[in-house]
Amino acid sequence: MNLEFSWQLLREAIGYLLIGLGSFFYFLAGLGLLRMPDIYTKLQTSTKATTLGTFSIALGVGILDFSFLGKAILLIAFVALTYPVAGSVMLRSAYKNKAPACKETTIDECDGIANDNGGDVR
Amino acid sequence: MRRVWAILVAGVFLYFLIAQFLPIIPDFGNADMFLRVSFDIISKSTTSNYNVVEFKKSKDLEDGSANVVTSIVANYRAFDTLGEVTVLFCAAIGVGILASVLKPKRKIEFEEHRVLRISTGIIFPLILLFGVYIFIHGHLSPGGGFPGGTTIALGVLLLMLSNNEFKVTPVAKHIEQVAGAGYVVIGLMGLAIGGVFLMNFLPTGVVGNLFSGGVVPIVYILIGFKVGAELSSVVSDLREG
Repeated sequence: MNLEFSWQLLREAIGYLLIGLGSFFYFLAGLGLLRMPDIYTKLQTSTKATTLGTFSIALGVGILDFSFLGKAILLIAFVALTYPVAGSVMLRSAYKNKAPACKETTIDECDGIANDNGGDVR
Repeated sequence: MRRVWAILVAGVFLYFLIAQFLPIIPDFGNADMFLRVSFDIISKSTTSNYNVVEFKKSKDLEDGSANVVTSIVANYRAFDTLGEVTVLFCAAIGVGILASVLKPKRKIEFEEHRVLRISTGIIFPLILLFGVYIFIHGHLSPGGGFPGGTTIALGVLLLMLSNNEFKVTPVAKHIEQVAGAGYVVIGLMGLAIGGVFLMNFLPTGVVGNLFSGGVVPIVYILIGFKVGAELSSVVSDLREG
């Protein structure tokens, strides 16, 4: 069996690997949304894992098809601007409205400072 | 003076309505709607004279817009779309009246959130650009005036959520008036040039180009401005009432 090295093959392998990784992150996000006990952990899994999944799927498609690479980088920049902010705002409003944490929670680091401005420095 | 102008415009409009439209409406029971509305469409042959549609090459297909839904909504059914815009206008008026009549005049204050405010400053121009893109390319790709205007209004809502000082100025209402009147003016130009209200009187061009579809992109740009301004003022009314 003669498997000769080619850049094309390597590129496709990297691209499909990245897409598979992204799908795996999406799967983890869905699993976490079902299995996690309270809203803080649910939001943590869903926002973090979908951000990473979108990054790697967009990058993988961009590597498979170079004409899409510029759009993929723009997409990654836009997702990096929006997803974490949305997660932050949702978590903050949940905390401010005193959403119950699961009973395994032992420490609340925002306890003192959250009443001021949610931990923001003015 | 404004009242005189308004009466003059309304008089001209009524004259056209009565003198041009009413004679072509047949008596009750005598209209052959099959011949009138859909006979051309139904009897159109798909086997002979069949041309494959090629992007950026085909000419004069229906009205030249690549998005067939748009060519129906803003061309055949443009009068109905004018009605839809009017419905939205009535809804906006209703929200405004409710917000001003209902008693508790308290403003909803949102808490300052630094992350949200700074990132809104970055994201809002992008949202505005995307909304404008949606309604300018309404005749080429999925979208059109209503989704584009809604996207712009959502950007305004984001500004409102992040900044308590932000207000929608009365300029929004003026934009909405001008756009709504522009739609009717385009319809009257079609009436004057082609003889049918809201007729597609401009050359339709090549399918897939930005300047194609005749009057459709102009109508969609006007609808986009109108819907964006209207929904922005609805959101502002809901917040301040």
